Amino acid sequence: MNTSEVEAPAIRAIGLWTGWGRGAGAFPADAAVAAAGRPVLSLGRAEDADPRLGAERFRRATRECLWALASVGAMLEDGGAAREALAGARTALVYVTAAAYGASNRAFIESSGSGTHFAYTAPAVVAAEVAIEFGFAGPSMVLIGGAPATIQGIWHAATLLASGACDRALVLAVELFEECADLYVRAGRACSRPLVEAAACVWLTPGEGRLALDAAGLGRVGADSVRRRLGETFACEPLAALGVERAAGRGARTLCGSWRGQTAALSW
Amino acid sequence: MWRPDRVAVTAAGVVTPIGQDVDSFWSSLLTGADGISTIERFAVSDLRVGRGGEIKKLTRVKDWNGVPDCRATRLLVSAADELCASAGRPIPVDPHRLAVVVGTALGGVGEGERALGGDGRRRRLTGALYDAPAHDLARWLGARGPVLTVSTACASGASAIGLGADLLRAGVADAVVAGGYDALCRFVMRGFDALRSLTRERLRPFDRRRSGLLLGEAAALVLLRREADAGRQRLGTVLGHASTGDGSHIAAPDPDGRGLQRAIAQAMTHAGVTPAQVDFVSAHGTATVLNDRIETAVLKRALGERARAIPVNSIKPTMGHTMGAAATLEAIMCLLAGRHGVIPPTRYLEEPDPECDLDYVPGTARTAPCRTSLSTSLGFGGQNAALILEAAPA
Repeated sequence: MNTSEVEAPAIRAIGLWTGWGRGAGAFPADAAVAAAGRPVLSLGRAEDADPRLGAERFRRATRECLWALASVGAMLEDGGAAREALAGARTALVYVTAAAYGASNRAFIESSGSGTHFAYTAPAVVAAEVAIEFGFAGPSMVLIGGAPATIQGIWHAATLLASGACDRALVLAVELFEECADLYVRAGRACSRPLVEAAACVWLTPGEGRLALDAAGLGRVGADSVRRRLGETFACEPLAALGVERAAGRGARTLCGSWRGQTAALSW
Repeated sequence: MWRPDRVAVTAAGVVTPIGQDVDSFWSSLLTGADGISTIERFAVSDLRVGRGGEIKKLTRVKDWNGVPDCRATRLLVSAADELCASAGRPIPVDPHRLAVVVGTALGGVGEGERALGGDGRRRRLTGALYDAPAHDLARWLGARGPVLTVSTACASGASAIGLGADLLRAGVADAVVAGGYDALCRFVMRGFDALRSLTRERLRPFDRRRSGLLLGEAAALVLLRREADAGRQRLGTVLGHASTGDGSHIAAPDPDGRGLQRAIAQAMTHAGVTPAQVDFVSAHGTATVLNDRIETAVLKRALGERARAIPVNSIKPTMGHTMGAAATLEAIMCLLAGRHGVIPPTRYLEEPDPECDLDYVPGTARTAPCRTSLSTSLGFGGQNAALILEAAPA
C-alpha cells in the first residue's frame, strides 16, 4: 500500500465552472446523454461569466488564465470572502492541469507569435496570473497530469498546511479543449464521454482529523459517478467531486481518480 | 506516516551537451568544455540566434526498442540508463513503491509540433501532453508507484527533487527517481528568440557585458532513498527544499527577488542550516541583465556577510540553460563539488559587473571545501526554488 496520512485540511470554499455552467448544480444526470453527440462542451468566454475579466489589464491573458481567475473569484463568493483574504506570502498555490496549455501552445506553433504569446504557453504562467491578481506570493507548485495529479496536489497542499509553511492553500485546476477539439478527436480522446471544459479552485485551511493518501488508488470509490454526470474533465474531476459533496451539504469523504493507468485516492 | 528521515541521493544519471554520463559531465565542467554549437536538428536560419547546447547524437542507449521516438523521452531514458547502471535495472525495490517525479518546462511539446506539422500518428498527439515523457520513463523503469510531472518552468528540476523527497518522507514511496529534462525544439527557440532573451555572444553570467542566455537540452535524474534504506553508496543528502511564487510578473523575476529570498529562507529552515553552514552556492546565473543582479542582491540579503565569503558559480555557460534539467544538473554538480572539494568555474566571466560583487569563481576550477551547498533556481511565472544539499565524503 502506498498510503500515508497527514492532518486533514478543512475546505473553506470552492469555485467551480464547467461547460455545463456554474457550480455542481449545473451538472446533468448523464453527461453523454446531455451532450447529445457534442465532443466538447466549451466554457466559452470568461468575460461573459465575470465581466471584471474584460478589463484592459487582462487583454493579453489567455482563456486558461481568465478561467483560472474566474474560478478563484467564484471561490471567494462561495466563501463570502474578500479578495484581500488571499493576499500575502502565507497563501500557497498548487496549480494542476493535464492539457490547458494546449490552446496557447497550438496558437504559438501555428502563428508567428510574439514573446508575450510564448510566455503564456508556460503552465506556470496561469499560476502567476492568479497570484498577481489576488496579491499572494507563498509556496507554489505546478503539476501536470489528470485526476491523480490533482489528488497529489491536494495532498501537497495539506502537507504545506500541516507543516506550517502557509496559512491557507488554493488548489486550482483548469482544462480547456475547444481550441484543440480536432486533435482530441484524432487522438481518440473524445469518445464515450464528452470533453467538458472546466476551471475549479478549492480553498483549504488547517482542519481536524486525518487525510489519507492512497497513491495506488486501491480505495477507488465514487469517481465514476462524478465522471458519468460531468463528462471528462481531466485534472478538474477531483475538485468537481468536492463541489458535488459541498453542494449536497456533505463534507469531503473520498476522492479518487485515474489517468494513464495511474490511480490515486484521498480519504478524509 | 511522515518520517523524520533524511533523504539520500544514491545514484545519478545525466545526458548533456558536455557529456553523456556523470563522469564526463563533471570532467567537462572542470576543464571548461564548451557544449555550445550551431543547432542542426531543426531549422533555425530564420532566428536571430541559432546556437545552443544541442546534443548531436545520443550515444549511450544502443537499443531503443519499446522507447517512443520522442526526443524528450529519449533524453530521460538515456539519463535513466546511467542511473540504473549503478542502481540496478530493475531498481531493487517493490515496483509499486518506486515513484517517478520529473520536472520540465516543455514536456513533449516537440511532439505537438510534429503533429501539427502533418505527422498524423496518434502517438504524436498523446505525446504532446507535458506528462507523457514521465510516463514513458516510468514504463521503461518498470515503476508502478506515483508518476508526477512538475512544471515550475526553469525551476522544475529543483521542485521535482523536493517533491520526490517529500514522497519518501511521507512514506508514499520507498524510492524515487527524480530530476528534470527538456529537449531543444523549434518551439522554444522561436519563443526565446521572440523574447529577445538569447545572446549572439557567449553566455557570461555576472559579467558586465552579459547580454542574455543560450538554451541547451539535457536530462538529469537522481535516485532518492530514505537514509535508513540507502546503504553505503550515496552521493549526498537533500537537507531541505522550498518552492515559492513571486506574484509579480508573468515572465520576469520580481525586481526585489522577494520570492527567491523566501524560498532560500524556507529551504534553510527546512534543512536546519544557518548561513554560516553554507559553503557554496550554485546560482541560477542565466546571464540576463535582470537575473544576475537580482540573484546577487538576494544572496546578500539571505546569507548576510556569509555571501561575500563563499564561492558562487553558474555552470550554464558550458551547455546553455537546459531549462527543466538545469536545477537537477546543478544539484548533481553541488554534490560532486562537495565530494571532490573542487568547484567548477563560471566560464566566460571576465569583466565583473560592479552590481554583481560576489566571488563567482571566474577562470578556472577552484579547490575548496564545499560540503553544504545552496542551489537556487528561477523560472517563468515567478517560480523560485531552493535546495540545500550535503555531499557525501569521497
